Amino acid sequence: MLSVLSYGRLVARAVIGGLSQTDSRDYSLVSASFGFGKDFRKGILKKGMCYGDDACFIARHRSADVLGVADGVGGWRDYGVDPSQFSGTLMRTCERLVKEGRFVPSNPVGILTTSYYELLQNKVPLLGSSTACIVVLDRQSHQLHTANLGDSGFLVVREGEVVHRSDEQQHYFNTPFQLSIAPPEAEGSVLSDSPDAADSSSFDVQLGDIILTATDGLFDNMPDYMILQELKKLKNANYESIQQTAKSIAEQAHVLAYDPNYMSPFAQFACDNGLNVRGGKPDDITVLLSIVAEYTD
Amino acid sequence: MFPMLTLLSMFYYICLRRRSRSGTRSQGLGSRRAVELGQRSVLPITVEVEQYGKEVLDFSSHYGSENSMSYTMWNLAGVPNVYPSSGDFTQTAVFRTYGSWWRQCASASPPFRRTPPNFHSQDYLELAFEERVYPTAVEVLETYHPGSIVKILACSLNPFSQNPPTDVRWEVLWAGKPTKAPSPQARQFSPSIRQISFPTNLLRLEVNSSLLEYYTELDAVILRGVRERPILALYKIPVIDINDLSDSDEEFHDIGGLCCRSGGENRQNFGNGYFDSLPYELIQLIVSHLPVPDLCRLAQSSKLFHKHCSDPLQYIQLSLQPYWARLTDASLCHLQSRCTLLQRLNMSWTGNRGAVTAAGFCSFMKACGLSLVCLELSCCHFLTEACLEVIAQMCPNLQELNLASCDRLHPQAFNHIAKLTNLRRLVLHRTKVEIKNDSITFIHSAIFKAIYDVFKIDDYDVVASMISSRCRSLRSLDLWRSKNLSERGLAELVTGCRLLEELDLGWCSTLQSSSGCFQHLARSLPRLRKLFLTANRTVCDSDLEELAANCNALEHLDILGTRMVNSASLRKLLQSCPQLKLLDVSFCSQIDSRLVQEFSGLFPIVSIKKSFTQ
Repeated sequence: MLSVLSYGRLVARAVIGGLSQTDSRDYSLVSASFGFGKDFRKGILKKGMCYGDDACFIARHRSADVLGVADGVGGWRDYGVDPSQFSGTLMRTCERLVKEGRFVPSNPVGILTTSYYELLQNKVPLLGSSTACIVVLDRQSHQLHTANLGDSGFLVVREGEVVHRSDEQQHYFNTPFQLSIAPPEAEGSVLSDSPDAADSSSFDVQLGDIILTATDGLFDNMPDYMILQELKKLKNANYESIQQTAKSIAEQAHVLAYDPNYMSPFAQFACDNGLNVRGGKPDDITVLLSIVAEYTD
Repeated sequence: MFPMLTLLSMFYYICLRRRSRSGTRSQGLGSRRAVELGQRSVLPITVEVEQYGKEVLDFSSHYGSENSMSYTMWNLAGVPNVYPSSGDFTQTAVFRTYGSWWRQCASASPPFRRTPPNFHSQDYLELAFEERVYPTAVEVLETYHPGSIVKILACSLNPFSQNPPTDVRWEVLWAGKPTKAPSPQARQFSPSIRQISFPTNLLRLEVNSSLLEYYTELDAVILRGVRERPILALYKIPVIDINDLSDSDEEFHDIGGLCCRSGGENRQNFGNGYFDSLPYELIQLIVSHLPVPDLCRLAQSSKLFHKHCSDPLQYIQLSLQPYWARLTDASLCHLQSRCTLLQRLNMSWTGNRGAVTAAGFCSFMKACGLSLVCLELSCCHFLTEACLEVIAQMCPNLQELNLASCDRLHPQAFNHIAKLTNLRRLVLHRTKVEIKNDSITFIHSAIFKAIYDVFKIDDYDVVASMISSRCRSLRSLDLWRSKNLSERGLAELVTGCRLLEELDLGWCSTLQSSSGCFQHLARSLPRLRKLFLTANRTVCDSDLEELAANCNALEHLDILGTRMVNSASLRKLLQSCPQLKLLDVSFCSQIDSRLVQEFSGLFPIVSIKKSFTQ
């Protein structure tokens, strides 16, 4: 019955929509997040939207909807620095920037640059590094603007096919581009990329497009066809279904990560580079799933 | 066909109803939320409106950088980000100074005489709200070291209106003394406020943090009010302090009006009693203790007092800052005749919303500027380049000039400042004025006391180089947040200005200790009394050891945020600098609170600051 009603709603909307112009309506993103931290023993409940060393945010402003993910580089743990602090603070700062309107929708790299600058204005001496991926939907122009630094990224899926994706930025194997703040004594030897090094792109989106933003925990464990299979099950543009799908994708990736015999994309890539490995890649997994829908207040 | 249509319309009807019911939840409080008060039956329903600030329009100073959202005044608008947590967070509004440390510095100017005893304000901010209401309550959410609010005022002007009225009134909602809350924890400050006769959406908060242990931080301000003119019953009747009322009354009398009414309503029948037998100088001495509005009132009482009160000798020092709300061009005009011997003038904060114009100020300067030695013009938004030109022409003896937060001055305004050849103290905090190479030639012989946070300089190294070669007897220099000052510039500076006693290098992130610049600084400046190296993450043990060895006159030291200083070098510093009074080791990871307690016990004179986030 429920699906009949929603189908009927879609039909009715299409009928009415066909009679009036659709171009003037604002779009928006209906988004949900889900994830798993790598280390279960870390029982500390982090404040909002942090999964292990990953962090993410979903924010809205008058003119745009913004999403972001950041993957904290785990290597800092060996030096006594908590990697989740940097990624978490970066994402929360981006969220604050968006909520206060201190950004331009067509310039997501600007959000990263400003946010990085704000991190340096903190009295607390932050240390650490992370990748970052920011996705901005400009409500009126129906354009999606993205910025990606490192190996996190996004996919745009339309009618069951990937129409846009981000490229991974790596210096060398398992060393992605990263924003970092290093202690002064290690300034020269720590990898630190400028926010300007981020890849940016802009393209049009249509109603019903699905945008999947995630850290490498997902993409290294689940190849595209599996992700698309899960996304096929997403029928409705409401929060509950999106949440459910995000959860199932993350769960599947989580299971695959700990499968020692499975040929994950990560293992495939390693083999291509001469390393003979098999199995998934245990890592923090963060999935942000959004659908482009009409803007409702 | 028809069943299909009815089915479709039925679907659409159901869908519309469902959509209207399940709207997305709006954000928290947003900016307004109506709460119903009172009974429905008999009285009209009075709706109390609760609002958070919409926009911070003006303020005297803040801790953060101009383009940033960390520790800046703009954080006060909107919903609270930190409250009810306590701590030193970036999302709050923080003023530039706290306590009495800045007043203790040599670069501070002595207080003005005749400051009314109930004027305590050191800093202010103006916050606009969405809707005009008759205020019933004002709540300030203070999240760190509360107790600084000393005055809350409301304005009759709507800052967002297209046609501003000419008559702007400020009424005091509440006034109090600076206090210090027993703990640095967050609190909601809600004093009982007076009833006012006009609706307002513009509040002004004045603060004084001189009793506080550390920076105070404000998170949000809530304005509660009613839309219609309230009946008395809705208010908790505030305790009416007669002293309070009469004091605030006197502040908001039109000074111009008072001075204008010529004294000499002839009471010659009564004489002047014993005053006739007192010598002139003695009456002058008595009258010299009166604050300015009382002076003006006294002038109207008799011819004798009119003579005394308009004697220019009474107006050698004049502070008009406490009367910022009521000072107009007319007031200045009427004061002109008495101020011909004026030496120290404080007009900070005046000219609020067009009450004083550049023209009025210029004519005042032309009449009274000749003997002027000290001119405080902080936050004077009417000040233009033309005014500076007049100051340069008419005040050849000017030694101290404070132009902090005068935002209408352009970078080239320095050309006029350069003409003041006797200048010893110059404050350019938060202005856009640039110090140019060719215009700095005049200070070759002066003791140039201070340059504060020159805003738009592209290359601080060039400025440092200029200062080191031209201002050899410089005593105090404030280079807070000098974005691109490098070790080269610093080295030149300390080599050239050997007499430096105060140096503020806070948040100068381009200075690297590994270049040896701080050690060179310590060796070159034996007279150093104040050194701020706030948030320079490279300050290390060897720097402190050099300071301990060379700068034994040190009184104020700030090394916030470095991970590279340990307890041994800090102990050595404390032992070698017996005059040390202020030491800020906040966010220094190797110095924990236990250590701070130990040092506080061993060195009781030193006030050791250790800020916390939670």
